[in-house]
Order: sequence, then structure tokens, then C-alpha cells
Amino acid sequence: MTRANKQAKTVAKIFAYLVLAVVILCMLVPYAWMLSSSLKLNKDVFSFPMHWIPDAPRWLNYAEIWTRIPLGRFIYNTAKLSVIVTVLQLLTSSFAAYAFSKLRFKGRNLLFLGYIATIAIPWQAYMVPQFIMMRSMGLNNTHLAIIFLQAFSAFGVFLMRQFYQSIPDELCEAARIDGLSEYGIWGKIMLPLSKPALSTLTIFTFVNTWNDFLGPMIYLTRTDLKTIQIGLRMFITQYSAEYGLIMAASVVSIIPVLIVFLALQKYFVQGVASSGIKG
Amino acid sequence: MQNEPVLGNEMVKRNAMSKTLKDHLVAYSFIAPNFIGFAIFTLVPMIYAFVLAFVKWDGANPMEYVGLRNFARLLQDSTFHKAFWNTILYTVGVVPITMVCALGLAILLNQKLLGRNFMRTVFFFPYVASLVAVAAVWNFVFSPTMGPVNNILHAITGVPIEDLPRWAADKDWAMFTVVLFTVWKNMGYYMVIYLAGLQGVNPELYEAAELDGAGPWKRFRNVTIPQLAPTTFFVLMILVINSFKVYDIFINLFAGADNQLNNSTRVLVYQIYNTAFRSLDYGYASAMAIVLFLLVLGITLIQFQGEKKYGQ
Amino acid sequence: MNMRRKKVFGFTLAAVLLVGLLAGCSGNNGNSGKTPAAEPQTNNSANVSNEKSDEPVTLKWALWDWEATAYYQPLIDAYKKDHPNVTIEYVDLGSTDYMTMLSTQLSGGADLDILTIKDIPGYANLVKQNHLEPLKGFMDSNSIDTSVYGGTVEQIQVNGDVYALPFRSDFWIVYYNKDLFDKAGVPYPTNDMTLDQYDELARKMTSGSGSEKVYGAHYHTWRSAVQLFGILDGKSTIVDGKYAFLIPVYERILKEQDDGIVMDYATLKTSSTHYSGVFYNNSVAMMNMGSWFIATQIDKVKSGESQATNWGIVKYPHPDGVKAGTTLGTITSLAVNQKSANKEAALDFLKFVTGEEGASVIASTGTIPAIKNDEVVNSIASIDGFPSDENSKAALTTDRTYLEMPLHEKSADIEVILNEAHDNIMTKNATIDEGIADMEKRVQEALGN
Repeated sequence: MTRANKQAKTVAKIFAYLVLAVVILCMLVPYAWMLSSSLKLNKDVFSFPMHWIPDAPRWLNYAEIWTRIPLGRFIYNTAKLSVIVTVLQLLTSSFAAYAFSKLRFKGRNLLFLGYIATIAIPWQAYMVPQFIMMRSMGLNNTHLAIIFLQAFSAFGVFLMRQFYQSIPDELCEAARIDGLSEYGIWGKIMLPLSKPALSTLTIFTFVNTWNDFLGPMIYLTRTDLKTIQIGLRMFITQYSAEYGLIMAASVVSIIPVLIVFLALQKYFVQGVASSGIKG
Repeated sequence: MQNEPVLGNEMVKRNAMSKTLKDHLVAYSFIAPNFIGFAIFTLVPMIYAFVLAFVKWDGANPMEYVGLRNFARLLQDSTFHKAFWNTILYTVGVVPITMVCALGLAILLNQKLLGRNFMRTVFFFPYVASLVAVAAVWNFVFSPTMGPVNNILHAITGVPIEDLPRWAADKDWAMFTVVLFTVWKNMGYYMVIYLAGLQGVNPELYEAAELDGAGPWKRFRNVTIPQLAPTTFFVLMILVINSFKVYDIFINLFAGADNQLNNSTRVLVYQIYNTAFRSLDYGYASAMAIVLFLLVLGITLIQFQGEKKYGQ
Repeated sequence: MNMRRKKVFGFTLAAVLLVGLLAGCSGNNGNSGKTPAAEPQTNNSANVSNEKSDEPVTLKWALWDWEATAYYQPLIDAYKKDHPNVTIEYVDLGSTDYMTMLSTQLSGGADLDILTIKDIPGYANLVKQNHLEPLKGFMDSNSIDTSVYGGTVEQIQVNGDVYALPFRSDFWIVYYNKDLFDKAGVPYPTNDMTLDQYDELARKMTSGSGSEKVYGAHYHTWRSAVQLFGILDGKSTIVDGKYAFLIPVYERILKEQDDGIVMDYATLKTSSTHYSGVFYNNSVAMMNMGSWFIATQIDKVKSGESQATNWGIVKYPHPDGVKAGTTLGTITSLAVNQKSANKEAALDFLKFVTGEEGASVIASTGTIPAIKNDEVVNSIASIDGFPSDENSKAALTTDRTYLEMPLHEKSADIEVILNEAHDNIMTKNATIDEGIADMEKRVQEALGN
């Protein structure tokens, strides 16, 4: 009985691995192509039949991206923006989400609903009024503009609130009886418990800011302020597009984001149980 | 708090009142940092955009009040209708497939599997990558006559290449292609949300269910699903909203150098963008945005009610 | 409870609206505050305009592709030689959607002084938005003669005034690969080809299959590369809402596509295939393209990226009964921001770039300036790497040039509609008749609005 059970389990596992292997292959093929194109001359990038391994790998592409555009500066700017936005987003979102999830006050549901609904309004619809307003505040061509634009999103509040919903209210009640203030509960109980959600939000905010294009495009017109996504598009000019260089720069630009992901990845699996919710 | 019981009836009442007031203030103080920033930098321009729906404005010259005329125009506008239905079709395609894939992957990769860290990274990869690059790759791989996908299909099925789907280049397959692309690109993102959500599921519930003799499917239905309800609500909402707001993916996949989409791939936000920035008709574009907003608000309300019921 | 909730909500809403109103007002104040401040300055500088001022001025120049464009820096350097007090800062807004970006920046009150105008629809929009300084008065007082621009300035007049002057003027020609013609034993194309002859030649030059395939001709995915053969006879325009004249044009091109004479549009578009790549790789014998490609092709032959080392150019093919040298053109112009605080200095720079001096600087970089005299033609033909045959040099002179997009109040809307319909027809998402009907219906709708 148990043996048959074990056998069935093994079969299921092998099957699962097989499925995963195929899917992973599908996920990775485009990257293999990206990597291979990043070592090609522009004219060979889209030529058929495709050569997976370039006949004469052009490592020069990786040297050229740093000199053709100020890529180092762009990476620094983007990293700076991404870090600041992420920190602000984490703080304000988890703070607000605590109120929406664990505190009772008038207009709570209504306010929350309104918050979510605003996520639905496409940025393109209010981009111009926003730009006019930001300019009148003197925020044009400052990194502050991008920070304000990205740091206070309803998305983060929504994400954190949903996670707090799954933390039992009794935990907060118990803490209140123990004489902890609401701020104390947030800092000492909720924050440590919400590591998975916090790391999720970190990754999303970081990636979003990192890959944002239209915002920096409109607000940052001075070259020394620009970000990496604008840099990538500098290889697409009016009469030509240098895909070899675009691919090389894309490969480089993925690395920092990947590091963030790998660093935080362990928190997705650190169960609530292990952080002491059991009692 | 300290001297509550000693005081008289009246005092208790007043104290209670000031306590609710204090509670409210505390609650508002939690919301304030995010909300104030949000209100100044996002909400105000949004409201401004709402007002624009009732005027005619080219972005520079004085506005002219037109009442509901912009909305009346929407009823007649066949390109807007096409964009509307394309967006709905896209949403209906993307939402369920992404959800199932993301949940499946999350559950799978929450198990003790060999190399699961590697696999999680691989699945999240497409979301991280720059859209310009991956869209180019994707289009190349799915290129109708020369691309590897059609060549492999040709080798397997023996169907002549001319009769195989022309993917992004084919009006009947374009939507399918973009749905496939979106699922590929974004499922890792939702997988991460589900993974985080799964960490919130109390393992004792599984143990209890197992003691009750519940099989894997029953445990999934009776423990995982209800425990994941808040996460699912979130994933569903964000998926729906992002699908309605889709723009970048279509532009990068279909638009080419002139940034234009054709009949079978035109979506709402593209229409809004074009109307505002190419036709300089900000009022009319705002009216379209309001329709989009109301649509999502409606869906949110329904979901919200659903979540409340489910939560209890 | 419910009532109270409503009240709170009402209050919040009111407060938010108030904040919004305040922000809106202050925004307006900011704008209206700027205009009067700018005006006296204009008057001031107008008074001293005859004298060269030595005060340091910084001009902001909106442009695209700073890195990839050869003539920006030489132009600035040349200008600064005579005007050491002027500093010119560039603001690179990127080439994709450049005109949209520019319009957004100007609506937000950006302090740009000199504006590069990329296309006609964008120009029409900026004029409509009152962002551009009218130039008629300036041109009269500086006696700028518009006849040197070959009739293009007249084509961008709006209500009797002009808001930009061209400094760069490209026109369409045919590039061909001499080696491929030699190999096939077919005589080279000539400077006087009808569309039928072009089609015939393309068919003769098509050969091979697989990676050895040579296409006789190549049409890039732009609408102008195909559709505008229809306007070369001067009888039709693309802005009046009637498009039956395009039917034979599309029939010819789609037939070539079906017969494998040219590459499939849908494949080209989805795989982002760039016209330069196929030409470099010796896979097309002839290609109709703008004169901007001359400089690139010369460069890439030198760097070794282009394997089409033996090449030439000839004049654009034309319909029967139309003079050879009739072609399509596109102009790049300069304008001055109406709200610029340094209008005088900006206008002076504009005068330099769009004038003779600017033209020779631009020509020296291998780009075709708007003022195209014999000197300019000689200068381009003598660039190292330019094809040495007489025909190629002769191809640089044109007869009549039609703008790719004529100026029209609705040209931005029309452009969008035509591009979409072109895409539908070329990908066979719509039959030719359906596509034409769609154009007519929507353009007429737009014209009526």
C-alpha cells in the first residue's frame, strides 16, 4: 500500500520534472537568442537561417555600449532611483496597508475601493496634467519627479493589505492587550511577519522603476539624468536600429535586477510558520 | 486608558468618544504618508483629467466646455468600438490562463524540488527583461516563413509552411500570439505573488486535513484555495486592470517603427494615446479613459463583494 | 452611520477638488505669469537686434539622435566661431514619437528655444497649439529668399505665415547593387525609368531560393515606400479623403509580393527587419529609399558591415508621362518656441542653420541640406566612397518633389488612418478595396470633425 503510494509519487515527480524541463526550455530559448544576438553585427541579428553560435563573436559590442552612450551613468541613475523609490514604497505602503487591514475607521472600505480603482486609470490619460503640475513645482529634470511619481502607488498598498488580510486579527488583539501601541504592532509584529510580501513588493517596485521608460523620457531630458531604458532606445535611431547593441545592453541591464531577485528569493519560501505565528 | 473604571457614566461616554476619535486619528496617520503623496502627485492630475472629459482641449489653447458631447461621440466611433472589443478579448484570454499557470507553478515550486531556486528565477526572468529586447526575440522566433516555430511545426505536422498560422502577422492569430506572449512574460510575476501568499497558509491546516483523510485534490480545494483567497483577489484584480491598460506589449510586438497598430491589434490605451497626442483631442481621450475607469470600477465592486462573502 | 460615511466622503471629495483647483490655478498663473515676463524682453532685444550682443546667452535646442547624427556638433561649432557668447545646449528627445514628446514638453512650458521639426503632421499640430513663433516678419526684415528651398517653404505655409524653415531636405532615390546586376548580366537601372520598367527590371533580377535568394526590389514597411507612387503624377493628393487612385499601386506591389519579387511585408514588419540589413547582405538588387541612406551606406562599406560594396543610385521611378526626377521628399526644419526668452538669439541661430553657411556644413557630413545648389551636389558627390559613375551624381538632382505628407490641418489624423490602412492591406488583413474604403470612410470622418 505505502509502497504503491511511494511509487505513484515517484512517477508523479518524474512527470513533473519532465513538464518543468520542457517549460524551462521554452523560457530560456529567447535568452539564448538574446545572448547570441548580442555578439553579432546588427545586420546579422535578423538574418535567416539563424546562427545560434555566431561565426565570429563580436565582443566589441560589449565594449561599444559603454562608449557609445554613457551607460555607466545611466545604470547609476537607474539604480539610485530604483533604491529610493523601493524604500519609500515599502515604508508607506506597509504603513497604509496596516490601517486598511487591521484598523477600523470611517470610510475605510470606500477609501480603499477608490484607491484600487485609480490603478485602472491609464497613465497616458493624465500624463499631461501631471507634467504641467510637476513643472510648475519646479520638478522637471529632477530625479525627485520620478521618485514622487513612482513611490506612492496604490498598487503597493493593495498588495500589502491583501497579505495582512491573511494574518489573523487575534494576533493584533493579543498585542493590544499586552499594551503595544498600533505603531508597535506594525513594527514588531506585522513587519517581521510580512517578509514574503515585502520582498515581493521590493522586487516589483524595483523592476518597475528599473524598466520604466515613459516617465523618465518625459521628465528627464538632460543626458546626465537619464536612465537605462532611455539608453537602450538610443540605439534605435530615426533611420536604423542597432539590435546587436540593444541586446548587449539588455543583457547587462538584466544583471542588477537578477541580483535583487536572487537575494530576496529565499523569503518567498520562509513560511509564516517559521516566523512564529503558531502561538 | 489608565483611570477608566473610576469615573462616572458621563465620563466613560466621553472617554469612549475621544477614544474612537483617537483610534481614527491613529488610523489616518497610518494612511497619511502614502495617501498625501498619492493625492498630490497622482490623484490631482487624475481629477484634472476627469474634468477634461467635458471639454474640448488641444493641450495648449483655452478649453471649451462641450458637456457630454465627447461621450456621445464614443457611441458612434467605430475605431473606439474595435479597440474596446479587442481589449475585452485580450483580457478574457490573458486573465484565466495566466492565473492557472501562475498558481500551478507556485504550488509546484513551493514543493521540495531539485533546483527549484533556479527554476523560480527562470520563470521570473521574462518579466525582468526589457520589453524591447524580448519582443524582438519573440517576433523573430514566431516569424511566419523563416522562424523556428513554424519550421518545427512544419517538420512535425508536415503541413506546408504557407498554410501554418502567420502569428503576429495574421489578423486571426495576432490576438492569440499576444495572449501567449503576455502569459509567457508575466506568469512569473504572478507566480511570485502566489508564492508569497502560499507562505501565509498555516501548515497545521494541511496536517489536520491529512488526518481527516483528505487527498491532495481535497486539500487543495479545502485548504489552499480558501487560504489563498486574498491573494487570488489581488492577482485577479491586478491582472484584469493590467490587461485593460495594456499598451507597451502591443506597441512592441506589432507596431513597428511608426508606432501604429492596425484594426486587429488596436487596444484602448493605444486609442487614448493616439487621440490625445497625435490628434491633440485631450477631451475625447479623457472620455475614453473614464469609460475604462468605470468598467474597472464595476469589476472591482463585484470582486470586492465576492471577497467579503468569501472571507466570511 | 451611512449618512456620516457619506458626509466624510463628501468632505474628502470637496477637499481633493479644492486642492486640484488650487493646483490648476497655480498652474495657470505660472503660465500667464510667464508670458508678460517674456514680452518686454522680446521688445528689448528687438530694439537692439541690429547689433550683435555680447551678453552670454544659452540656447536650448530640441532634437533627436544626437549621437547618431553627424551634423549637429559641426553646426554648433561653426556657429560658435562667430558667436562666442552663445552656448547651445541640446535636449535629445529621442526619435520614436519625437514630435509627441516635443508637444508634451511645450505644453508643460519647457524652456526650449530652438525646435527641430521632424515631420509635417507634428508641425501642423504645433502650429495649431500656438507653440511656434511666426517667421514671416523675421524673414522679410532679413530678406530671406524662399526660392532657394525649391518650393518646400511654400508647402508649409499656414494661413499666410510660415512657422519653420527647412535645413535638411531628403528625397527618394533607388539604390542598386552593381555586383548582383553584373552577375545576372542585366544592364543597370537608369535615371529615367517608368514604374512599369522598374517592375520589369525587378522581375528580371529575382533569382535563387533559400539563403541564396535575391529579391529584385525591396519595399520597406513604411507607407511612403509603397503608397506614394500614387501621387507622383501630381493629379492626386492623400489628404482629400478620396483614395481610388491607390488601387493600381497596391495591385502592383501585392502582385510583386505574391510572385516573390519582393519580401513579404508581414514578415519584414514582425521581424523588425531593417532595410539596410537586406541591402548590406546582397539579398536585394534594387531598393527605393530616401537620400539619408547615402551617408550610412558609405560608412558601413568602409567599416565592412555592408557587403554591398559595389553600388549606385538612380533617380526615382515615375509614372508614364511624368518627367524623370519627380520624386518624394521630406524636410527637416527648425522653428523657434513662441515662449522662448531668447527669441532673437534663437532666430539668429535658425537663420544660420537654414542658410547657405549651414547648408555647406550639413553637406560636408554627407547629408543633403535644404538649400541644394550645384556646390552642394558636387560636395556630396565628391565624398570618398560615393559611387563614381556619372549616373549616380546625376541622380542627386531632382525635378519636382512632393512632400511625403502635405500640410493639412488634419494631417496628424490622416497620417494615422493611412498608416493603419496600409498595414491592413499589406498584411492582407483587408483586401485592397476594403482598405481603400476604410481610408475613405475614416479620413472623411476626421475631415468632418
